[in-house]
Amino acid sequence: MNTSNDAAIVFDRVSLAYGGRPIISDLSLDVGRGEIVCIIGPSGCGKTTALRMAGGLVRPLDGTVRVLGEPLTEPRRDVAIVFQDYGKALLPWRTAAANVSLALEAAGTPRSERPERIRTLLAKVGLASHEDKYPTEMSGGMQQRIQIARCLAQDPAVLLMDEPFGALDAMTRQGLQDEMLSIVAETGATVFFVTHDLEEAVYLGDRVIGLLPNPGRIGIDLKVDLPRPRDQLETREMPEFLRLRRTLFDFIEKAEA
Amino acid sequence: MKRSWWKGLVVPAALIVAAEIAMRLSNTTSMSLAAPSDILAALLRALFDGSMLVATRDTLASAGAGLLLGGLLGLLLGMIFGLIPIVNRLMEVTVEAIRPIPSVAVLPIAMLVFGFGYSMEIAIVAFSCLWPVMILTRAAMAGIEPRLIEVARALRLSTTQRIAKIVLPAALPRIMVAVRLAAAIALVVAVTVEIAANPLGLGYGILVAQQGLQPDLMLAYLVWIGVVGWSLNATLAFAEKRLFGRAAQVEAAGA
Amino acid sequence: MKWSRLLSLLASFLVTALFVLAWKLVADYKLVSPVFLPGPDRAWTSLVRGFTTGDLGVKFLATVERMFWGWLIASLIGVALGAAIGTSPKLRAYLAPMLEFLRPLPASATIPVAIAVLGLSDGMVLAVIAFGALWPVLLATIHGFAAVEPRLYEVGRALRLSRATVIAKIALPSASPDILAGMRLGLTVALILSVVCEMIAGRDGLGNWILLAARSFRAPDLYAGVILLGLLGYFTAIAIGLLEARLLVWRSRAR
Repeated sequence: MNTSNDAAIVFDRVSLAYGGRPIISDLSLDVGRGEIVCIIGPSGCGKTTALRMAGGLVRPLDGTVRVLGEPLTEPRRDVAIVFQDYGKALLPWRTAAANVSLALEAAGTPRSERPERIRTLLAKVGLASHEDKYPTEMSGGMQQRIQIARCLAQDPAVLLMDEPFGALDAMTRQGLQDEMLSIVAETGATVFFVTHDLEEAVYLGDRVIGLLPNPGRIGIDLKVDLPRPRDQLETREMPEFLRLRRTLFDFIEKAEA
Repeated sequence: MKRSWWKGLVVPAALIVAAEIAMRLSNTTSMSLAAPSDILAALLRALFDGSMLVATRDTLASAGAGLLLGGLLGLLLGMIFGLIPIVNRLMEVTVEAIRPIPSVAVLPIAMLVFGFGYSMEIAIVAFSCLWPVMILTRAAMAGIEPRLIEVARALRLSTTQRIAKIVLPAALPRIMVAVRLAAAIALVVAVTVEIAANPLGLGYGILVAQQGLQPDLMLAYLVWIGVVGWSLNATLAFAEKRLFGRAAQVEAAGA
Repeated sequence: MKWSRLLSLLASFLVTALFVLAWKLVADYKLVSPVFLPGPDRAWTSLVRGFTTGDLGVKFLATVERMFWGWLIASLIGVALGAAIGTSPKLRAYLAPMLEFLRPLPASATIPVAIAVLGLSDGMVLAVIAFGALWPVLLATIHGFAAVEPRLYEVGRALRLSRATVIAKIALPSASPDILAGMRLGLTVALILSVVCEMIAGRDGLGNWILLAARSFRAPDLYAGVILLGLLGYFTAIAIGLLEARLLVWRSRAR
């Protein structure tokens, strides 16, 4: 592991335990800049915990997590977290625009510049005409778009996404997958994407890492050699896609056994 | 939660000890305050000579009778308003005009009509309990699963059967919440009426102790009123849990 | 507003008018002794006379002022204290059991104690009102702050908001529905305690006025006072309802 210096996220022999029970043990992992890495694994493998460590919400017991070359001790504003439960992660008393504004307020963006940036961001996630709606007035997919817009408002170098589309229906999910890919292609952000959906992992990722449970550790690290931009129909029909899917499927089956 | 129950006792115990030390050190015979040990002594004395128990009985009897009267009336009105929407709409302004009258404002009227004694206190308690029970019962009626009403219609139950077998059981957990709320109100109102005017019960007891410059007895009454209020609330909460178990909590949360 | 709603309100007003008419008939035909029940016309005349030639307006304002200041003090202390306790699980573990024990204690029972300590002063009255109205605000605020979605705190951490910003932009708005509900309850308590204190301590105000009217059998004055108190209760409820509607738009717009 000597790529660490120009990697976006580095887990260096990281361990974590809750109340004596090991959650993650001796995890080492590099995510290169601009790379999209998808994390899969059976429940209890610590994939969400790993994401929270990369976000600075949880500190490892042993080892270090480095983001953009610096050891991480607390959250940073250029690392944005997209939570799965968008309903809980948005401020219900703020409109879509005001929710995005929270990130700009945190960064100290001058008040006069905010409306313009908010409009651009909301347009980017396809919510151009919904600025004044409250989250509770919107569908799940739209609420998750607000959260993504808020994260983009942080100008993130790293996007941490914790099963962001897990609670959405299939059509909405595919739409958001493609939107996310095009946004990421545009900004060049590094993505750390946790999911339990194997096809989603292969479809989105440059790399798919499978974790093994009890305690969490790396079980498989697959390079995804599929052409970009990806396409919901064509990509998913490619032999390489099917092969990767099969490999991951076997991995999960063995991991859960 | 279980492991740290003692934490709840730390602050009250510290306050009591501090009060005791402060009163002992100042060593003055205060007309307004008393040391916790003196309060406890006064409490035990008043309990054993029966005076406080008689007062408790009087207060609880008035509060209970008022609660029963107001509660039943509130239940009846709440059911009528909840089950027959047109009556509810026609009575809206009248109800909203009477409901905001503070309970103690009817005290002088009750005094004028009944004089002093149990009946005026019961009347005021009943007036105070009527509204919360009525409103929560009405809401409980509205909250009954419509499918249940359809079941009742499909089975061609008579109106009385429908109320006895479907409506009341379905609404019971929420009505129980209303009763618990009303019981707390009943005690508060009864004590208030006794302090303000009516010469009986715990409220009168505390007033007499204050006027007789017996701070230990006055504070003993205050402590005892707190104990009675807490026990009443705890008993009803326990009964609610036993009777309806988890269903009650779910319903209450949804209400 | 829809036409049907307007129509039903109109019908409801008519029903209320019928009740007032029935009241007048009962009074006119002396079905109930006029000592207890003067007609609505006499109560109204008394109300108008009280405002034009008497000092009813002054007494009304005295009660309003008392209620408002007591409530405001209670709200400020309640929200500040509630925020401190609600955001700290440690403080909650130590204080919550004691607060739960004190909650059912009738606030009016503290009046004799307050009189003993502070004398029959306006300060005493204000202290009692503030103390009584504090509980609903305090307990609701604690609950509101304790129930803030933990995920929102994580969002605050991820955005590196300062503690003050987290409280101002996340915790306080999130707890605001609970706080407002507590303040609404506190206002009712403040009104009741204002009236009771005026009755017991003889402070100038509506409570004292209706009590004196009852003692000297001036029934029309008494009813005028009760009507005024009802109006006061009604309009304070409306005022806080408007405040809620304004601050909590996001709740009513939920689909």
